[in-house]
Amino acid sequence: MADAKPKIVGFCCEKHGTESVDLAIRSGEQYDASVRLVTVPCTGRVDGLHILKALEDGADAVFVLGCLEKNCYYDTGSIEGRKRVEYVRTMLSEVGIEPERVEMFNASSTMVWKFPEIASTMSQTARRLGPIEPRGDTK
Amino acid sequence: MIVAERKPLGEIAEMIAPYEKVCVIGCRSCVAICLAGGEKEVNMLVSAMGLLNRRTGRTQNLDGLVLERQCEKEWVKEVEDRILESDVILSMSCSLGAQTIGDMYPEKIVVPGLNTAIFGVPEEQGVWSEKCLGCGDCIIHTTGGICPIARCAKSMLNGPCGGSSDGHCEVNLELDCAWYAIHERLKLQGRLELMDMVRPPKEWNTSHSGGRRVIVREEARLTSHQKRATEESQ
Amino acid sequence: MNRGTQVVICRVCSEGAGLLDVDKLARVASDAPGVCSTVVVERACNKKTVLEIVDDAMAKEADRLLVAPCSKKEISPALFQTYAKKAKMNEFLMEAVDIIGEVTLPHRDDPTRVQPKAEAKLRSAIVRINMLEPLQRTEERMRTSNVVVIGAGAAGIEAASVASAFGLHTVIIEKSEKKIDAPGVVMPKSRLISAKGHAGNYILTIEVGEKRETLECAAIVVASGGDWREAKGPIVDELQVAKPLHHLEQEIGEGRLPGGAIIILDTPDPKGIRTPAQDFMWEEALHCATHIRRKSPTTEVYLVFQEMRAMGLAEFDYKEASELGVKFIRYDSKKPPKVDTKNGTRLIVTDMAQEETLSLAFDTLYYASVAPNPDNAAIAVALRIPISSSGGIRRGSIQRGPVATPRPGIFVCGTAKFPKSREVARLEGKAAGLMAAQFAAAGKWEFGGSVAEVTSDKCSACLTCVRTCPYEAPFIGIAGKAEIAIQMCQGCGICAGICPSKAIELHNYTDDQLSAETAAYLGGDF
Repeated sequence: MADAKPKIVGFCCEKHGTESVDLAIRSGEQYDASVRLVTVPCTGRVDGLHILKALEDGADAVFVLGCLEKNCYYDTGSIEGRKRVEYVRTMLSEVGIEPERVEMFNASSTMVWKFPEIASTMSQTARRLGPIEPRGDTK
Repeated sequence: MIVAERKPLGEIAEMIAPYEKVCVIGCRSCVAICLAGGEKEVNMLVSAMGLLNRRTGRTQNLDGLVLERQCEKEWVKEVEDRILESDVILSMSCSLGAQTIGDMYPEKIVVPGLNTAIFGVPEEQGVWSEKCLGCGDCIIHTTGGICPIARCAKSMLNGPCGGSSDGHCEVNLELDCAWYAIHERLKLQGRLELMDMVRPPKEWNTSHSGGRRVIVREEARLTSHQKRATEESQ
Repeated sequence: MNRGTQVVICRVCSEGAGLLDVDKLARVASDAPGVCSTVVVERACNKKTVLEIVDDAMAKEADRLLVAPCSKKEISPALFQTYAKKAKMNEFLMEAVDIIGEVTLPHRDDPTRVQPKAEAKLRSAIVRINMLEPLQRTEERMRTSNVVVIGAGAAGIEAASVASAFGLHTVIIEKSEKKIDAPGVVMPKSRLISAKGHAGNYILTIEVGEKRETLECAAIVVASGGDWREAKGPIVDELQVAKPLHHLEQEIGEGRLPGGAIIILDTPDPKGIRTPAQDFMWEEALHCATHIRRKSPTTEVYLVFQEMRAMGLAEFDYKEASELGVKFIRYDSKKPPKVDTKNGTRLIVTDMAQEETLSLAFDTLYYASVAPNPDNAAIAVALRIPISSSGGIRRGSIQRGPVATPRPGIFVCGTAKFPKSREVARLEGKAAGLMAAQFAAAGKWEFGGSVAEVTSDKCSACLTCVRTCPYEAPFIGIAGKAEIAIQMCQGCGICAGICPSKAIELHNYTDDQLSAETAAYLGGDF
């Protein structure tokens, strides 16, 4: 059954990522309370292991939020971040776990609508997929 | 260096499925450099397997560790305890590392986490290309420094063949024709006469066709007098 | 050493929305491991309160401070300053946890979830602060405050003027021999060969005529401009008489008017294959067109553009040009204009609005684009700054400022980035001159703190970090293992995230810290 309170962890860069979140908050946006943010200096700091560990520790979905790729504060950091996310998604598909539990997003500090959108996308995904637990159809 | 690729996790999962205690061993040499079996990959694999087990509702104890060089007994010996207490070794090294552990602990089941693929050159970050087959009888001094055995799809000693067009290979148009490259290199060096040299059939008995090869450097070996007592010799 | 954390919870902000149970938050804090003191105050930003809580921190021997519930930006800096000064607390061990921003404000509509999320946030922040290291930043004095400007075009001269008005010594490096009227030193016939050092202390090697000279500087402005001779495309190939727009400007400046109909086309390469230009000299084109029509109302003037952008006051020029009868034709780059091969004095263009193909008779054709300066590559290599695929110097993130490159102390302006009108180039020159001057005038430069560090024992010397770092901070040291040049490290952690041997950690954002923070969240209620 879908969990009413999914567990979502977001690794958010402290540049455009955090600023887009701040802007959304200061603009009075309301979003799903299931999101917990971990601040990283840049999404390039995120290691696939952080994402996998978060899933192991019980997160239903994990996202990474960084600067727009051509406007990353650390130049190429959000491109690296995306590659880490893509690699984790490949690994997840290989072990039969829905890759859409892990997503990469990019925002600029002025995109006020972006973070509420991310929170809603991720919480819908997490509610739809539920926790990672034995399913009837696995061997 | 040796370039390897991780096997699909599903395949790995199947190999280790029957066992409870899995010791995942990576290596800090070639396979770390080619981003396949270093500490990062070992940790991620352990974590992904944990998730798989959660999904399938089973418990399995996965212990991840990394050695400096898995193909050398001294390094393997350092983690003997952890090898002995496991039911299966998942080697995240090239096949040499996996076999070193297998030979040292013949009663232990060792399964490969990587496919050892090629002797490759890192062309750029994330791209490795095969340039040597380890035939055991190098001839690149006559071919402008380019190995036709590894780089020509037909391993031709006297090329190019009729399938070379515009510098590409007929076997796969995306491949460069090694003999075209040899010609260009020799032209640059002013040694085009080497193109006319006829290379007689190669002595393939130095290659794998002659069975398992062992390389011995007598002066590097320790004499029986020098050898320290080991557990095996006791 | 970790002696203990003092958690300060400020009641006035916490209780503002009436959604938080402050006393319960305080219990969460005091029950958390590593916390030696929890104080709930009315207003943490109050000077008297600050003194009291610092005393408490000192009495309990706390070496780290966590303030809730607002962000570090919102807390009075005096609070942290007092802790640093009186309790000698390290700046890296003082943090704030923004419960208002991340919990109370965005979840007013879901009040039952506010308290558990606030507690989770606090627990996670405590886990983090307990694991932080006291880091140090290093300060380096700049040996000089010189600002070097590369290129004496409109942008470069403006940059030098602004920096010089700031009271700094400026040096302009210009490759041509042209006479330049600019403040400071102008070095004609000179070019940049190489650069050493880092922000604040760059050492440049310059070739001046036949000689090589060394030039020390604190900041650099790249204003290398473009090169119209490099603008290539089918129009120039087919039409030898096609000229860059500045020829027309020059003719007008000398009081001459072109005879016969003229076309001003945006680029000699309408498909954008050989001369990738993203921006054109719109304003100059408008000025020339209005000038000609004003002086000679019978001369046909066509402006053939993919896009006409008249920004700011240039709107008036656009209006005037329309009133004077300049004909604007907009085309689609998928249907590029062609020179009529049978008759070399006609341009065939499909008007985007009317979908009508026109054949325009003309006597002279000018193109309003400049190609990137071919010297950009050498400049980028020397200064270790990135170059774009179209050959311009690439600027850094907009958050670093509109004219900043990713390297501190190096700025870029004008056509060096990509073609732009002279007015925009001048404005950018002004911005770059000002930013360079402010940087150089600081006299000192800080680095270090939360930077990357290699654990040599684990390093496989695979070069992944060396190849991936955007700042070229990692290098292989004499021990054959990677090392980080901390003056170059900007603390992004890309190397730490990519190292296949897990040999690199970013201080205060280590794997353990990030995973512990995540685990603290996931261990709590949602």
